[in-house]
Amino acid sequence: MHLPFRSKKTLRTLAVAAMVGMTAVGLAACSSNDNQGSSGSATKGTVNWWGWTPTNTDEAKDFIAQFNKKYPDIKVNFKLIGISDYQATMRPALASNGGPDVFDLQPGSYVQQFGTYAEDMAPVAKSALGSDWKSKIAPIAVSGMTYKGKLTALPVGSTYAGTLWINHDLFTKYDLQPPKTLDEWKHVCQVFEQNGQGCFVQGASQEGFDQDTLQSIANSVKPGYWTKASKGKAKWNDPTMVKTLSIWKDLFTSGIMQKGALGAQQYPDANNQFLTGKYAMVMMGTWYTQYATEKAMTEAISAAGVAGAKPFPIVPIAFPDVAGNGNTSEMFGDADYGLAVASKSKNRAAAETFAKWIATTKQGQQVIANRLDTLPTLKGVQPDFTTIKFVDPSVQETPVTDLLKKVGSVNEPRFALLNADIENAFLAAAQSVGSGSATPQQAAETLQQAAQAAAAANG
Amino acid sequence: MTETTGVRGARMSHSGGTSGRPALRGGQGNASPARRQRLQAPGLPWILPALVLGVGLIYYCIGYTGYMSTLNWDGASPNPESVGLNNYVRIFTSDPVFWKAVWHTVVFFVVTFVAQTALGVIFAVMMHSRIKLGILYKVVVFVPVVLAPAIMAPVFRQMFSINGQFNWLLEHVGLGALVQPWIGQESTALPVIMAITIWQWTGLTFVLYFAAMSQIDQSMLEAARIDGAGNFRTLVSIIWPSLRGTTVALAILGAIGALKTFDVPWLVTIAGPNNATQFLGTYIYQMTIQLAHVGYGAALSIILLLVALAIAIILQVVGRERTREKKGAR
Repeated sequence: MHLPFRSKKTLRTLAVAAMVGMTAVGLAACSSNDNQGSSGSATKGTVNWWGWTPTNTDEAKDFIAQFNKKYPDIKVNFKLIGISDYQATMRPALASNGGPDVFDLQPGSYVQQFGTYAEDMAPVAKSALGSDWKSKIAPIAVSGMTYKGKLTALPVGSTYAGTLWINHDLFTKYDLQPPKTLDEWKHVCQVFEQNGQGCFVQGASQEGFDQDTLQSIANSVKPGYWTKASKGKAKWNDPTMVKTLSIWKDLFTSGIMQKGALGAQQYPDANNQFLTGKYAMVMMGTWYTQYATEKAMTEAISAAGVAGAKPFPIVPIAFPDVAGNGNTSEMFGDADYGLAVASKSKNRAAAETFAKWIATTKQGQQVIANRLDTLPTLKGVQPDFTTIKFVDPSVQETPVTDLLKKVGSVNEPRFALLNADIENAFLAAAQSVGSGSATPQQAAETLQQAAQAAAAANG
Repeated sequence: MTETTGVRGARMSHSGGTSGRPALRGGQGNASPARRQRLQAPGLPWILPALVLGVGLIYYCIGYTGYMSTLNWDGASPNPESVGLNNYVRIFTSDPVFWKAVWHTVVFFVVTFVAQTALGVIFAVMMHSRIKLGILYKVVVFVPVVLAPAIMAPVFRQMFSINGQFNWLLEHVGLGALVQPWIGQESTALPVIMAITIWQWTGLTFVLYFAAMSQIDQSMLEAARIDGAGNFRTLVSIIWPSLRGTTVALAILGAIGALKTFDVPWLVTIAGPNNATQFLGTYIYQMTIQLAHVGYGAALSIILLLVALAIAIILQVVGRERTREKKGAR
């Protein structure tokens, strides 16, 4: 078989042309395109929404169905991307022209890394809520979504941590009271252990949840110090943090933390262990409120692998005063997530309509509120408890409603002030202290060095 | 092996011989050199797409990674900062996690290669012994090779957790004292990862040794038997030396595989606890994707590439020298 090339010159020319063509295609694929997208219609079009949450696609479909009652001509396609794959997926997608129109952002490293690809949503918020829009949204949610003066996303919901959730049935069964101090916590765990029942479970291989526990301990040692250090106004190698890490270590040595915690993940390991009744306590925040309801609890237990799931009442309790200083451990929180509109979107107006409806209208926020997964950021919107059915209202309703009232005054951020390097340093500190390969003092020094390096790198 | 064949083919082509390779080109082995050169030209367009893809994608990307390794860049910023060789300096002088990953890679390679080789040879010898249900055993040994690590990882996470089946088994065979959080502590996490890898890849080692043993001249084995060699002596003095080529190839594959190790440690232990199962592959992923230090991750990737090349060359050279020594001794 012969191809019709008669001379070397023709062949070389073709070879060079093919090479140049392929390289150009490769370069075009690799290069970024700074073209801005077009605005399009605000009431018609297709909006592609990518996010790690809602983690349940049925929930997203419910949001979209409610939205479509008002805007039937905007089609919204939700693409669920696992949180562990989110950064890897979004970086090239947002740099290309084939990425989403709307995408999830959370305070901290995501806002810092992907905020440059988002529209400034402040004008959108102003058009929806008026010039005093900031006073109508939870302030902690606005600050968490703002980076370098730009509102990178409209906050949809907020979450707060610093609480423990307990299995009320197990505490009743062994005649135990929720612990308020470290000694009481140790006693509770001893009783559970004597009865062959797991006590406290944590997925200590993941930085975010380790940080929640560490921040709660730090707030017990010296309220507000963690936030001060996060802002760079205090040092991480201060005796406060050394004490915090010492108490963290104590959780491992005194038998509070389950064996193998350093290799466990909060999701699915710790979550499943708690929901299947193997452990009686878990470190979770307000996002766990959804499991106080019979429907969500039954679904969650079933998803954890229990056939014929029988829901049990879970109750939030304050993090114990583990330092013994008499301080009530303050809660801390952020915007759970916000909806950003990609600046390259070709349907920006429709995308803004969708983000605006969920984040700034009472209808949109009520849908969020009733899920009890994340708390609404628009002030004045509360979960409708007439439609929400607790597993055991007699033991759950009061602590849950108290919790939701309490978070209204929270002003300490959770992740918003920390970047990925510092979060990574927290994980290293937590794991090295937990495993005994570093002393609390050594880990605190390393943490401070990491914070200084991160501060220097970020100018 | 490929290179040797190529050299042999070229020699035949220059000599203008009529046997072997020239006949593959349509029986034109007797053509004059000028005629032959003209006939070779049409081959270029055939390989051009692969050449362009190879050079344009693979080598271009390697070059681009090399360029990125000189940057301080988060992968998104339009203005990356050029830092020269600073990323490399940092890696070699002030990054303990890198050296931890290198150490884990060395340990991982040595342990998994030795274990897989020993098990592979033993299984292959056993299967050549015409045992009953041999086909069934072959399937059982080989099945882990075709199972995706992403599917097996949750199983192993459950199996080796503190409440997992492995501890349950230990308790029920009277070894309750050994119960521990296997993947939740630094001392045992790496051995678990190595055990999983051995389980997964021994099947491939076995198949290659099984095939290589089929090539051993039966008369040599019979001669050994006549000379009074027993099973062990035959295995050590006849079979094992005949498998040298396969062993070298497996060593190269194992070494490069160890350098590229990512899926099992990431999916089972997330490279932890406390970096106890950190490898170069997982560290590159953490640096590049999770922490957005794309320049630093690119420098790690270039180091990984150079080490892989160096190991492949060293093992090839050592393998050849030993083969020459062996031939010389004969």
